[in-house]
Amino acid sequence: MKDFLIFLPLTVVYLSFKTTIAFSFPLPDITLLIVLFAAQRGTSVWGVVLSFVLGYTEDVFGAAVLGSSSFSLVLIFAIVHLASKRVHFLTAPARAVAAGSLSLVRGILTMMVLMMSGIYVAIFPQIFLNAFVTAAFAPVILPAFLWLSAIKVPGAIRGGER
Amino acid sequence: MLSFVKRHRIIVASVIFCLLSLHLASNRKKGTGGEAIVRYSLSLAARPIQITLASVRSRVKGMWEGYIYLVGIKEENEALNKKMYALLEENNRLKEEIGLNERLRDLLKFKEESPYPVVAAKILSLNGFGTGENWTRTLTLDRGTISGIMVDMPVVSTQGVIGRVIETLKHTSTVLLLTDPRSDIDVIIQRTRIHGIVEGGSDKLILKYIRQFDDVETGDMVVTSGLSGIFPKGLQVGMVTRVEKGEDNIFRYIEVNPSTDLRRLEEVLVITQGSPLSGIENAGNSGT
Repeated sequence: MKDFLIFLPLTVVYLSFKTTIAFSFPLPDITLLIVLFAAQRGTSVWGVVLSFVLGYTEDVFGAAVLGSSSFSLVLIFAIVHLASKRVHFLTAPARAVAAGSLSLVRGILTMMVLMMSGIYVAIFPQIFLNAFVTAAFAPVILPAFLWLSAIKVPGAIRGGER
Repeated sequence: MLSFVKRHRIIVASVIFCLLSLHLASNRKKGTGGEAIVRYSLSLAARPIQITLASVRSRVKGMWEGYIYLVGIKEENEALNKKMYALLEENNRLKEEIGLNERLRDLLKFKEESPYPVVAAKILSLNGFGTGENWTRTLTLDRGTISGIMVDMPVVSTQGVIGRVIETLKHTSTVLLLTDPRSDIDVIIQRTRIHGIVEGGSDKLILKYIRQFDDVETGDMVVTSGLSGIFPKGLQVGMVTRVEKGEDNIFRYIEVNPSTDLRRLEEVLVITQGSPLSGIENAGNSGT
């Protein structure tokens, strides 16, 4: 529940920033990194709800097809949650590779949902650029999330590390 | 069964939310009741942030254009620095004022010449010009239902069509740009009066349903046909930039460059009342 209070306002500020000042610049996919972070450390159903809400917010904010982002984010949460039992993203390169790969997966999932809704868009160049930028920033942003989530509850740092 | 659900609660919850998302996506045209509440709440939360950031953007842009470029002069004219910066600041402010005045004068001229009542609106945010899953092309205006804006009203600039309103709240509204893949506009080639449909292709426009033998050339102007019931007739949409044979041997593949540079927009006009025919056309035409 605490994650909601931290990450939902963060997402709204990020989306506002992205659509006003930085609409022409490639930015890392913060919502994906939040989901990656939440799935890695959490074993609660709230993580799934958070992923859905972040995706829904993103869709509403961008006036996109409702469900396109939430579907990909929830599925990515499930994938990372299952993988986190065997794979841990402790080092910076591991975080970058994970974030980049998941960004590609997210792009493909979004395209699939759009096709299902009757919208055919070729966004491959953007997907690759986004994956690259997200991968480049992930080693910095993921530890920042850990720090952010530990502000109020110091014990969460221990719980967050694997 | 219950123990299975408890043991795999995250996967079960994920499946439920994935199905819910797919349900939302497949019912996109119908919409849900809760959607409006979420949109309104988000708009309330985001509007102050967007206004602040939009103002910061405009100030930074002004500084960049009028000040940063001239920093080199400082080294050559140290004695005149203080005076120069004061004058630059004044000059920059005046340039911004002149720019704003020019844009507003153009809008006013357009407003006066336009046979339709229009409302001027400032752009708060642009969605979909960055990277990643930003396949949408929409923008948020600082005017909403309180200013008389309603869904399906055409949005134009002095250069031509921008898009149409797809969502309105009390103080803001969302515009589907003509470059959005969901947008389609009934158009005619100005020179030859051939009809077609312009569809959004993210950063360009695709002119569809033009037959192989139809007379269309690069450089032809494309204007609205007025048949859709949303856009008045004769508004500029763009210019034909590429004409190819097309894969199906029936229709041509034609690319159109939008007449307005959508990334540089700051103010737009919303036509609050359609053409005299639009009411009649709307009755039998639900498309764009």
